[in-house]
Amino acid sequence: MKEGFRQSMAWLHTWAGLVFGWLLFAIFLTGTLSYFKAEINHWSQPEIPSRALNSAASLDLAQRYLQTHAAGAGSWFIDLPSEREPELSVSWRPAGGGRGDSTQKVLDPATGSELQARDSRGGDFFYRFHFQLQMPHPWGRWLSTFCALMMFVGLITGIITHKKIFKEFFTFRPGKAQRSWLDGHNAIGVLVLPFHLMISYSSLVIFMALVMPASIAVSYNNDTRAFFSDVFGIPQSVKATGKAAEPLPLSTLYAKVQEQVPGARIAWVEVQNPGDENARVRVTRYSGDRIAHLRGGGWLFDGVSGTHLSSDFADTTPMLISGGFYGLHLGEFAGPVLRWLYFFFGLAGTAVIGTGLVMWLGKRQLKHAKSGVQPFELRLVEVLNIASMSGLILAVAGFFWANRLIPAFQEGRADAEINTFFLIWGLSLLHALLRPGRKAWGEQLAVAAVFYLALPLINAWTTGQGLNHSIRVGDWSMAGFDLTALGCGLFLYWAARKMLLPPVVAPKRAPKVAKAAALIESEVK
Amino acid sequence: MLAITLFGFAGFAGLCLSMERHYSDLLGHKATPRRLRGLRIGGWLLLVVALWLAVLKSGWAMGLVELFAVLMAGLCLWVFVLPYRPKLLLVLAAASVVLGPFSALGWI
Repeated sequence: MKEGFRQSMAWLHTWAGLVFGWLLFAIFLTGTLSYFKAEINHWSQPEIPSRALNSAASLDLAQRYLQTHAAGAGSWFIDLPSEREPELSVSWRPAGGGRGDSTQKVLDPATGSELQARDSRGGDFFYRFHFQLQMPHPWGRWLSTFCALMMFVGLITGIITHKKIFKEFFTFRPGKAQRSWLDGHNAIGVLVLPFHLMISYSSLVIFMALVMPASIAVSYNNDTRAFFSDVFGIPQSVKATGKAAEPLPLSTLYAKVQEQVPGARIAWVEVQNPGDENARVRVTRYSGDRIAHLRGGGWLFDGVSGTHLSSDFADTTPMLISGGFYGLHLGEFAGPVLRWLYFFFGLAGTAVIGTGLVMWLGKRQLKHAKSGVQPFELRLVEVLNIASMSGLILAVAGFFWANRLIPAFQEGRADAEINTFFLIWGLSLLHALLRPGRKAWGEQLAVAAVFYLALPLINAWTTGQGLNHSIRVGDWSMAGFDLTALGCGLFLYWAARKMLLPPVVAPKRAPKVAKAAALIESEVK
Repeated sequence: MLAITLFGFAGFAGLCLSMERHYSDLLGHKATPRRLRGLRIGGWLLLVVALWLAVLKSGWAMGLVELFAVLMAGLCLWVFVLPYRPKLLLVLAAASVVLGPFSALGWI
């Protein structure tokens, strides 16, 4: 019975992994990029200069701008710059308006003047794609959440299937074909398991209303708003009286917040009914100041008298649990070191999926190696593997190229960037269809290597903010992006070389010598 | 965070060496059962110290996050570099044991 159980788990692991692996690879890779969403945003809009942070001054500048340009609006929103992203953005919407009715402008945080930045989704594109898959609402969210569930299933079944989880805990044997792939798959899976489990389980928590709507509907009598308010917190709103009143400068309220919590970083300020007697100012703390990610938490002030009305940091247990998982998933609290580790663990998750897909195919291809003829289904998996992995890597680079090469103020350029991404992804599928497997891998990886290695050059050429400039002025978000692109390019070059050179033969050793060396090695052991 | 990393890395190196196969692969001779037990106990103790340092520095919530992050990173380094540069890793592990306490005291 026990063996039967393990076998059925292995079956589930194999097939759930194959069917959802391609999409999971894309979800993990774009999710990993999202840990540097702010940096990618900054890189995508090089017109926004990096300035010394001064939240109080920026707030007053934003307020002045909004008073002249959006005096009659129902609410104002101010998104303050952070160490990672220099953008000060303001938006407003008419009373009773929804999200779609808002107008957004980008300001220079030091002068308050309007900035003309190129229209680009930047890091937000990858972030959104990561859980919406560029599909209409709610299908993308639903599908990506289901993929997360399958990832969780894959992890659990993987643990059950893995016979020697402790005995081979430290084991990785390179240079042994299928054996090495399995070792690598197991090692990255097991060593980074806490991250994998956290990331897939927390995504289910984030979208729990999608995953388990029935239990929520029953417990809350179909009042999902009450559920969200309990679990995540939702701010209340007040009505305007219609009588005008002189508002306080926002920096005064900022100072009050600093008095209460010295050093608190402020991310977001919302003014309801600006200019009205009933103006309310909600100051939201940067969610990276703590691990738990809570919506609607912050200080509420009377915008006219400056009276502190409430601070709602409702630390109820359900909010802390769900907010804790939410925060762990997003990693907003992470400083530079921890953020890089998040990035690498995200890549590790991507690699677990990728190695799994490669192994599924490799194992089955071995059976047909002698005849040289591949059955249709294996060829299909091969093409999808190539397009979903190296094709996606290529498409990401294409997005960044488009960001630099499409004229900065062309109409509809943000959409053109996204179209470039999908166009290149589609072309990679076509290319994978036309070329034999190993060649297709190698060629796509080689092109990707060139794409990434050239990114810093294109950046320097089109914006004048290349590495020589960004390092000198200490703009580490910009420099970090370029350096990471270089690193990715080198890695892809290495991978492409491996694929394009004839297999098995090590570059410097003839096959016979290699065999002999292996023998000697095994004798020593 | 450096001290936590050093203690955690050394701890897992100890646990790895406490496995007979890895011990003889890495050090070239067979280990006595007593030495293996010593390494296992030592390894766990170092990990406990890393946990204690992490919680002391950043509290339970942030401490555990940091601890897990550096442990996983150290483990990946150990396991994936081991087949290529075993000597280098042994030196790193030894250096971690020596430098860990100094780092914990804030001297480096």
